[in-house]
Amino acid sequence: MVKVLCVAEKSSVAKAVAGHLSGGRFQTRQTNNKYIRNYDFDYKFNQWNHCEVTMTAVQGHTEEIDFIDRYRKWSDCDPVDLFDAQITKNIDKSKQSIADNIQKEARHATILFIWTDCDREGEYIGTEVRAFARRGNPSIQVKRAQFSNIEKSHVIRAAHNPKDLDEKQAMAVSARMELDLRIGAALTRFQSLKLQGRNGLASDSLISYGSCQFPTLGFVVDRFMRVRNFVPEPFWSLKLMHTRDGTSTTFNWDRSRLFDRMTVILLFENCLSSPDALVRGVVRKPARKYKPLPLTTVELQKQGSRFLGMNSQRVMKAAEGLYTSGFISYPRTETDQYDQAVNLQGLIGKQTNDTGNWGWGAYATGLLDGAFEQPRRGRNNDKAHPPIHPVAYAASLALADADQRKVYEFIVRHFLACCSRDAIGETTTVNLDYGGEGFHASGLTVLERNYLDIYRWDRWESSQMLPRYQDGERFVPNEVNMTDGKTTAPGYLTEPELIALMDANGIGTDATMAEHIDKIQQREYVYNMPPPSGGGRGGGRGRGRGRGRGGRDAGGSGRSEGGGGKNVFVPSNLGVALVEAYDTIASDMSLSKPFLRKEMEVNMKRICNGELSKEDVVHQSLEQYRGVYAKVSQQLGNFREICAKYLEQE
Amino acid sequence: MAASLAVQISSQLVSSKSILPSQTWLATVLSTQKSNLPLQSLCQTALFRLLASEITTSVQPTPENTFPSAIHDIKTPSSRLKGPIVAQIVDVEDIGHSKLSQLDALESAERGEKTKGKEVIRVVPGEAEDDDPDNLGLTGAGGPHKLLLEDANGTRVYAFEYKPINGVGIGMNIGSKVVIRDAKVVRGVLMLEPGNTTLVGGKVEELHKNWREERKGRLKADIEALKEDDG
Repeated sequence: MVKVLCVAEKSSVAKAVAGHLSGGRFQTRQTNNKYIRNYDFDYKFNQWNHCEVTMTAVQGHTEEIDFIDRYRKWSDCDPVDLFDAQITKNIDKSKQSIADNIQKEARHATILFIWTDCDREGEYIGTEVRAFARRGNPSIQVKRAQFSNIEKSHVIRAAHNPKDLDEKQAMAVSARMELDLRIGAALTRFQSLKLQGRNGLASDSLISYGSCQFPTLGFVVDRFMRVRNFVPEPFWSLKLMHTRDGTSTTFNWDRSRLFDRMTVILLFENCLSSPDALVRGVVRKPARKYKPLPLTTVELQKQGSRFLGMNSQRVMKAAEGLYTSGFISYPRTETDQYDQAVNLQGLIGKQTNDTGNWGWGAYATGLLDGAFEQPRRGRNNDKAHPPIHPVAYAASLALADADQRKVYEFIVRHFLACCSRDAIGETTTVNLDYGGEGFHASGLTVLERNYLDIYRWDRWESSQMLPRYQDGERFVPNEVNMTDGKTTAPGYLTEPELIALMDANGIGTDATMAEHIDKIQQREYVYNMPPPSGGGRGGGRGRGRGRGRGGRDAGGSGRSEGGGGKNVFVPSNLGVALVEAYDTIASDMSLSKPFLRKEMEVNMKRICNGELSKEDVVHQSLEQYRGVYAKVSQQLGNFREICAKYLEQE
Repeated sequence: MAASLAVQISSQLVSSKSILPSQTWLATVLSTQKSNLPLQSLCQTALFRLLASEITTSVQPTPENTFPSAIHDIKTPSSRLKGPIVAQIVDVEDIGHSKLSQLDALESAERGEKTKGKEVIRVVPGEAEDDDPDNLGLTGAGGPHKLLLEDANGTRVYAFEYKPINGVGIGMNIGSKVVIRDAKVVRGVLMLEPGNTTLVGGKVEELHKNWREERKGRLKADIEALKEDDG
């Protein structure tokens, strides 16, 4: 019988896959690593016939890259040497037994079947696994399973359809690792050595640099400075009031607000000379609140923080757990469109018999009985994974903890919302001309709630009904007033905002954003805290107070934010100091700005597409960062001075 | 000969642009031109020079083409200016946006975040209230504007862009000439709209340069002043 060695990225996946393929009948063997087991069973693959299978796992990356010995000690070289220093691969002591296990198991196997997660990192880990296996058996045949969730039928299909490892994706990861190591080490050593023992920093303090961490920090500092430098500015506006049929309507000024008192007074006086107001148009327009797009990792993280009160790390941990248990599809995806082949009705069907009392059984049944509509198609497709969706029904009790329950509920409701119809309404806008000034009022009537019934985080409510106005009629306003207000400071950065900024500016991937956000907190560059009261000079939150809200935009499709009391990010003095120092010295290429990193990320994709080689990308990025390094080290005095300015405020 | 040429040019400029050049100024311009040039190109040269020079030296003031002496009387609620009045723009201010947002837009443009196509995306659609007009600072839409106009006598008058006028904006040339006909004046302030205002164009290099150099400082000073009011 042919012997097949299967290797997954983590032991939970190995166990789940072994369970599905063997129908639960496998033998467990211990290995020299306490976290890793080998599962033995027989399986009939379509392509290889009856096989003896051993399923095992690694724990993510097994090897790490580092500089060769002579560059490892900080005192032994100038940090700038690290841009060119020789690099080796090492196996972490605790993981040697994992590599040995694969080498040993491969010895008697004909085929290595790799089951690492299907993303860039997974392809790279697959190449590590292949290298260990070939040490034991140089002629072993290598195949790869392509799967995006651990639901049984999906796993079985993947088992019968082996593919090849994607070398290009692995190359992109390898390029990223080398760049992160060189740039991170060079700048971390530089910053630390030049600032240690100054301005209250300990003589051994580690001031780490990471090419994603810094732009992430940059966003937090940028917003912080905006709040700190905020000065409220007065503005003035006009309002027109009219009562008809017992309903008083406020018409907002088309100019909304002006920052010049004299002008507003003159316009006010000018329009008051008119005896009455003229209705210039009554416009009824269908309005629609769009159902959400299919769920990506970034959206899950943002909404998790906004709707569920969980930070992105917690959300991802819960999602990983749900994925490993086979309840949801792979939670790391950029795709926001469903493939035609996906049987959405089948997936909805799994939620109809809601024995766990989530409260969506009837709704899911309704979708199957005719309310179903194809999900919207977003613009992204990573060609590896579908949008995040439930693959099996889980009763609340079957889930490990409250976090998993919240995330599962969100994913199912989001999925059902995606398969529903948009909410439908109608807006009515009345436009007036009063003495040459335009005013308007509008109202919204929600006609069909549709997806809103299941997606309880979105709000869209009918407003007060407008009285009837006829186009061309004239009436005398009850009141016309001049009002005033002040601009208010923006709020400090929230986690959903930070994730959105990272996403829009190409910082990190869906898989790593949460880590970067966590890193800058660990390093104490930023703190996550409840919004400081009266933060900016303007104090308070929310903007544009005093402006007419709910005017023209009542029919818009913006998602409303739910719930308050969310934490915000505020930088430490050290965080501000570093960002200001780099911004001042290397303004066009500052490390706190997203440009350099964004370019690197774009180049990774080009490696994956086969447009660029790893060597080209590494060389190009290193030259750019070397340029910044040179600039900063030439202006060391200035660098220290700027840092001192902020650090001495402690 | 020179005198009649100057007369011909003046009447051409009056009929085509409603602008009467100062005869002394025109004589100086003509003295530097070759005498054998056709009238049409001399007219063009004169107009070009006129638009590029200080209105008080290049335009001949008349009772019709200048602001009446009582224009600053704020007790007059409303009156009409027949014109055509010739004026140059000496200052323009965006009163639809806060000073801070304008300073912000200016500074990010200086950092090259716009010119090099490297704009940092700070506001994600749907995240912030995307109807906040302050965000427009980054996308370049502006106005309405308050203008300071100067006539051939050197009289300065404020004007408000009552309806948007093509070409009026923060990026416009300072020293541009405008011709105003039949405009409403409310308490000493002109209400401009496309129907009563013709932007003839031009630029007074020195005024323009100074205005650009001083804009950031002025915005900052205005913001500082608000800070003190507040504190």
